[in-house]
Amino acid sequence: MGIGIFGRGVSALNAAQIGLSTVEHNIANANTPGFNRQQIVQTARLSLDTGAGFIGQGVDVSTVKRIYSEFLSTQVLQGQAQASQLETNFQQIGQINNMLADSDAGLSPAIQDLFSAINNVSSSPESQAARQAMLSSAQFLASRFQSLNQRMSDIDSSINGQISSSVTTINSYAQQIASMNKNIVQVQAAFNGHTPNDLLDQRDQLISLLNQEVKVNVVKQSNGTLNVFIGSGQSLVVGEQPIILKAVQSLSDPSRLEVAYDSGSSVIRAQQNSFQGGNLGGLLAFRNESLDVAQNALGRVAIVLADTFNQQHQLGQDLNGALGGNFFTQPVPLVITNAENTGAATISASIASTSALTGSNYSLRFDGGTAYTLTRLSDNTVTSLATLPQTVDGLTIATTAGAVAGDRYMIRPTVNGARDIAVAISDTSKIAAAAPIRTNASLANIGSGRISAGTVNAVFPVDVNLQQPVSIVFDSPPATFTVTGTGIPGSPVAGVAYTEGAPITYNGFTLQITGTPAAGDTFSVTSNTNATADNRNALQLANLQTQNTVDGGTTSYQGAYAQLVSQVGNKTRELEMTSQAQTSMVNQVIQTQQSISGVNLDEEAANLLRYQRAYQAAGRVIQVANTMFDTLLSL
Amino acid sequence: MRISTSSIYNANVSLLNQQQSQLLHTQQQIATQRRLLTPADDPIAAARVLKLSQADATNSQYAINRNAVQHSASLAESVLQSVTNLLQDVRTIAVNAGNGALNHSDKQTLATDLSGRLDELLSLANSTDGVGNYLFSGFQGRTQPFSNDIAGVQYQTDDGQRMIQVGSSRQLAASDSGADIFMRVKNGNGTFIAKAATANTGSGIVSQGAVTDPALLTGNNYQVTFSVAAGVTTYGVTNITPGASVPVPVAPGTPYVSGQAISFDGLQFDITGSPVNGDVFTAAPSTNESIFETISNLITALRTPNPLGGAVAAAEFTNSNNQALNSLDRGIDNVSTVRTSLGSRLRELDSLQNAGESMGVQFKQTISQLQDVDLNKAISDLTQQQITLEAAQKSFLAVSGLSLFDFM
Repeated sequence: MGIGIFGRGVSALNAAQIGLSTVEHNIANANTPGFNRQQIVQTARLSLDTGAGFIGQGVDVSTVKRIYSEFLSTQVLQGQAQASQLETNFQQIGQINNMLADSDAGLSPAIQDLFSAINNVSSSPESQAARQAMLSSAQFLASRFQSLNQRMSDIDSSINGQISSSVTTINSYAQQIASMNKNIVQVQAAFNGHTPNDLLDQRDQLISLLNQEVKVNVVKQSNGTLNVFIGSGQSLVVGEQPIILKAVQSLSDPSRLEVAYDSGSSVIRAQQNSFQGGNLGGLLAFRNESLDVAQNALGRVAIVLADTFNQQHQLGQDLNGALGGNFFTQPVPLVITNAENTGAATISASIASTSALTGSNYSLRFDGGTAYTLTRLSDNTVTSLATLPQTVDGLTIATTAGAVAGDRYMIRPTVNGARDIAVAISDTSKIAAAAPIRTNASLANIGSGRISAGTVNAVFPVDVNLQQPVSIVFDSPPATFTVTGTGIPGSPVAGVAYTEGAPITYNGFTLQITGTPAAGDTFSVTSNTNATADNRNALQLANLQTQNTVDGGTTSYQGAYAQLVSQVGNKTRELEMTSQAQTSMVNQVIQTQQSISGVNLDEEAANLLRYQRAYQAAGRVIQVANTMFDTLLSL
Repeated sequence: MRISTSSIYNANVSLLNQQQSQLLHTQQQIATQRRLLTPADDPIAAARVLKLSQADATNSQYAINRNAVQHSASLAESVLQSVTNLLQDVRTIAVNAGNGALNHSDKQTLATDLSGRLDELLSLANSTDGVGNYLFSGFQGRTQPFSNDIAGVQYQTDDGQRMIQVGSSRQLAASDSGADIFMRVKNGNGTFIAKAATANTGSGIVSQGAVTDPALLTGNNYQVTFSVAAGVTTYGVTNITPGASVPVPVAPGTPYVSGQAISFDGLQFDITGSPVNGDVFTAAPSTNESIFETISNLITALRTPNPLGGAVAAAEFTNSNNQALNSLDRGIDNVSTVRTSLGSRLRELDSLQNAGESMGVQFKQTISQLQDVDLNKAISDLTQQQITLEAAQKSFLAVSGLSLFDFM
């Protein structure tokens, strides 16, 4: 009987001690990330059946369990993957947003500077100072395009770096999870099926960290291991075996890294958009949805500006009397041949109409025969091209022979627009502010006919005979006139009917004669020599500022840039909002999960007291038993 | 509900973070005076600000352009005012020269005076804008428009007129071609010119004439031929344009009465004095006669009297002088027309300037409404956020200070 008392007292002492240890462990790990509080599971020992009935035999601590809700943990995982994707995406787009934030540092003041300078040239076309200011502000605009683009390219290459380090992190977590799986199986086998709570916590914590890099799916195995899957179901950890990821050059764009599986001897490429969620998902989404769009939109403004400006400039005449050349260098589309193509064909893309450009990227696939399939990546519109060359969205696509079915090409029409725009002329006298022709009514004219100043037709290349002298002499009676000049078919052309104000077009120019000319009245068109005070072309150039030239003629340069700004602003705002909402949702779930699994120090303090008291009571039991023995022994 | 201790800290830290970042945002708004710190703050307003700032910038540019037009128009106006004064002087001299009492040397003096005036007019017509550009040379700003050679003053440049954008849909001329001011002056009455032939030996003086019926005008050349037989002076008018249709406008043998109107084909003029047999007068469509030519013709008429002298010479001079006066009037009219157009341009510039300024104010106001911070609201926000943050901090301290361990 005495032994029974000792036995029960010792079992109570043990239980209290284990309880105290667990409380201490909980207190120690109150701030350990991923720690779930632990509790001892006490059970009463089986009682002894005596004549006096069942007598209890004390207490056993059957195990130490962790307080863990699988349901809530899964919810936290799901929410966190989404939250960290949004957070990363928001941080990245925040860089573009900040870049466009300062209205004094964006494109807008540079555009305004250029057109102010052109207006000043138009007011004093002969002024070298005004011309120099126009060149300088054009260079300023080009360099502003370049620096904005450079900033986005920097962001692009920093994303390569971040993808690399994300892949390294994922690999490291995968290895740790695999070795945790191994440890847990071993420990469970060695310790009689007791759950190794702290190992499980650590593994769960690793999965949670991995999940913040890329969204994972976790499947529990019967032996206690966890299998981890990412993307569209590819395994990352199977039992004790991790799969290694690798950041490799994209086939469709060598300047970019993408994520692939490393199978030792070769890499297996993965569908990039399958990596949803997490930091990696955020980086990939930002690159596709925001960076490309912004860079293409900026490039499109540059391309349209260069093209429309050049066209108008070519219709003018510079101070030396020569026709205007290109004012800006014209950026060209980028075509990337997929690295795995087996055919030898070269695809070339050129811009047929800058106003029709969309700002999207295109993917082109050779289907065999002469047929190609073109996919506009912004909205996945598929166009079947029975043969090349073809013009789609202002882009003329041509090919050489030698393509093999399945060959792929990536066409990025406007990506390099902002990078490649530059001012093509450096000599102020090469600014074509004047028109190449001028018209004249002979002073000997008797009638009241007046001739308009004449315009150059916007047909390229400009007619070679544009500046040849042309004379228009009215016949008698003056209902018709005769046109004479080099380059006019059938010159002299007699008997052309005169209609007041009707356009008269020869050699690439158009003019009007109004009033009532008399017989013999002579009008002439000549090359515009010494025209230092002529500003007609500068006036046209200045008007380009407010003309709707971009996006199918729906908006101006500034308007297109404003669209870009509002697009980025909207996306940033959207991400900021959803990211905040998602974060607070995750915080809610974490709080619920913590309310079950987290350590509450007050509770632990109470438990401390509880087990302390239990220990004291058990001690007193042993003391009582001891006193009982003493009583017996003293008999 | 059970609360985990770390949740208390985490939740509070994230709340404090949020409030602090709001506070910082408001503080930045106040410091920069801008509501829109980045496009994300209000994407639609950010895009509108960009569009409006372009509209504002072009509006300001138009104001600069208007100044340029105003400068050149005022310059041209002051030169043309001098031209008008000069032409008025020349006209006074021409009127004086018509005084029959003047002798040859008086006319020589007037001729010398006029030739000085001609030089002055030439230099006015070749005025520059102060940086070496000729005012009236069309597109060829650096080429002298008028030069004097043996054939008289020639216009060497072109008809170009420089337009400047002064409003979003308005261009105004910043220059006028010298040809339109000085060269394209119709002689005669502007439609036709009636002249006495230089070989006339009678004393017939022809009037400037007028158009009686524009619908009947033919634009042909006519010749009035006088014949005197048995003391009776008759005349006839023939159409001398090759291939012109008959009938004969006025049959030969029509009796001549001095000062009686001669009309045909919508024209009407009269001849006074005594033409002699074989005297010829012509009526032809007006042609352009430059103001320089008019003055130098007058000088020539003053310097070279008809050797026949007497009434014949007087009649010839009167005819020339009348021509000159006609042409001068038309020249003064022409210059006045250009000055009127300059004046209306200047007036339009003024009204455009007013409109532009009030538009500029509108633009700036709207831009300010879109992107500038409302200080009252921002400061009140700031105070409120500050109080909230302080409350959160204090309550956090109070909550985190509670621990059972303190009582053990």
